[in-house]
Amino acid sequence: MAVNAVHLESDAFLVCMNHALSTEKEEVMGLCIGEVDTDKIVHIHSVIILRRSDKRKDRVEISPEQLLAEMTGRPMRVVGWYHSHPHITVWPSHVDVRTQAMYQMMDQGFVGLIFSCFIEDKNTKTGRVLYTCFQSVQAQKGSEYERIEIPIHVVPHETIGKVCLESAVELPKILCQEEQDAYRRIHSLAHLDPITKIHNGSVFTKNLCSQMSAISGPLLQWLEDKVEQNKQTIAELQLEKERLVLELTDLD
Amino acid sequence: MAASISGYTFSSLCYHSANSNSDHEGFLLGEVRQEETFSISDSQISSTEFLQVLEIHNHEPCSQLFSFYDYAGKVNEENLKRILKERRKNVIGWYRFRRNTQEQMSFREQIIHKQLTHILGVPDLVFLLFSFISTANNSTHALEYVLFRPNRKYNQRVSLTIPNLGNTSQQEYKVSSVPNTSWNYAMVIKEQGAEFFDKDGVMKDIRTIFQVYNALQDKVQAVCGEVEQSERLKETFQEEVNKLKKQIALRKSEKEEERRLSQVPEEHKNTYLAYNSRVVCPGNAAEEYSLENQDTSETPPPYSEVIPLDSTADSQETSTAYLPRPQAVGSSNYAPPSLGAAKFSGNGDGSSTDSSQGTSGSGVVAQLAQEEEEEDEEEEEEEDDDEDSSEYENLANEPSESSDSEFSQLAEGRPASLRPDGDSRNSQASRI
Repeated sequence: MAVNAVHLESDAFLVCMNHALSTEKEEVMGLCIGEVDTDKIVHIHSVIILRRSDKRKDRVEISPEQLLAEMTGRPMRVVGWYHSHPHITVWPSHVDVRTQAMYQMMDQGFVGLIFSCFIEDKNTKTGRVLYTCFQSVQAQKGSEYERIEIPIHVVPHETIGKVCLESAVELPKILCQEEQDAYRRIHSLAHLDPITKIHNGSVFTKNLCSQMSAISGPLLQWLEDKVEQNKQTIAELQLEKERLVLELTDLD
Repeated sequence: MAASISGYTFSSLCYHSANSNSDHEGFLLGEVRQEETFSISDSQISSTEFLQVLEIHNHEPCSQLFSFYDYAGKVNEENLKRILKERRKNVIGWYRFRRNTQEQMSFREQIIHKQLTHILGVPDLVFLLFSFISTANNSTHALEYVLFRPNRKYNQRVSLTIPNLGNTSQQEYKVSSVPNTSWNYAMVIKEQGAEFFDKDGVMKDIRTIFQVYNALQDKVQAVCGEVEQSERLKETFQEEVNKLKKQIALRKSEKEEERRLSQVPEEHKNTYLAYNSRVVCPGNAAEEYSLENQDTSETPPPYSEVIPLDSTADSQETSTAYLPRPQAVGSSNYAPPSLGAAKFSGNGDGSSTDSSQGTSGSGVVAQLAQEEEEEDEEEEEEEDDDEDSSEYENLANEPSESSDSEFSQLAEGRPASLRPDGDSRNSQASRI
């Protein structure tokens, strides 16, 4: 087997969760960055949020050029991809399995992660978030691909790495870029009357407002809370350090 | 009642839970509002309903269990005050994360909840329960969450929504105008509509909202920079604290050894030293029972210390201190060979299921002695955690650790793969 297990650092896991929970109407996707060790364990240290070239609900591929562009110029390499399944089962669809198989042709050790969210059991009011890791194999020569399960563990990482933080704050930028592109496409249409132009401009404004209130706002709040929390923790650690220094000098 | 939590707060909860090797708990901060909803129906002109809306803004994680209550479930007001400080007035609930448990409040949680309700003065205090469960081969994991209102008689469970971008669809852009040949229409909308556009033909609103967005994004980047700095600072302090703890432990053991030596009468000193430097085992040839092991038996070392210096894997640098955490379902024998001789012992609930641990505990082979000493340390740590989370309810259908995946077979041969030199003698011994 090309891959024995996947270790997902918890700060990378945090960014994946942020991304997956950002929208329940579409599947989002990104790339996993890390390395593979000699025991065929894939270590994922961070993730990159991607723009989707195809916004259709059931399609989550990216173009090979995009993949290559992301791969070069990074300190680590791309070891896998992740995407979300809002309101849908966590298992990969046929398209997902085929996409994964295609990536595996470039890199045997490429892994796929899926996050399933916004699931709720109406009876028990239980919410659920699931995540799974898989690769693809060809059952028999010439037949369809099927998935194989790869063990995945979220590995503790007490602090949030710089790359993960940067990835997390990319999301609002990416959303805004996508919106700008969509607007530019229709804005260039010359035959629209002023009312329609005003309408489209308002749609852009409305969408950007949604992004700010749903994503940028809560993101900023989380960041501010984190700064406060860290101040607290650092103060506690300082006290503990002083106490330990005293204890050490007492022992000597 | 409707309840909501932001995706970022939820993810943060998951993150802190993932980082803890035992149960995890904390407080939920936010606000509760009454919202009026108007509705008109055939039977009445209008009816107003009052909907209680609960918004979770933030969470305050507790750094360890039993930080504000004791084993009997008695809440300590002083500790509570110290933990919450001025955030106390924003507390609307508390949460708990457990692995492989049922989605019910445990007895201790119920009595703590009653006390918190009274102490904090929040009559409708809520409790958010997270339960983590995995498949036998650990390829799929589920995090289930339920929000309880335990102080109510009925409708104790509340739906928790996570507001998100949802429906901002780009399909709402119009690609063509409604066909209209009216001359008046065209004239009016051209004249009056011109207000909306600036001299470049760009809508003024768009420029304005873009400015707002840019300003917001700049702030996000700025605060992100602050977070990054504080995370690095936190890291540094944590490292220093860990180093000091190690030094203290070392110093203590040195002193203990000195004290013991001073107590042994002179003529027996040499024998004592010789005895201590060799383990008395049949078939032992090589390994010396180092004095260091006595030290580790008093203070369990952090994970990073368990890894020997001759470990080869590159991933050491980035993940030495962090092992995949024991999870009660199906991961018992999983050992990360990449971390050299790093140990991963037993189930999350502290019970030792690895046969190699049991049989080699007798120290039959000397080389195993040191290894198993370190394994015992990890067992101790796990068991402590288990005591802390004694309401750990393992599911009846907990899959056995001897799953048929290739992966766990690798783990069965763990002792061999753990040693960088891959000493086969170890694996044989473990199967005895």
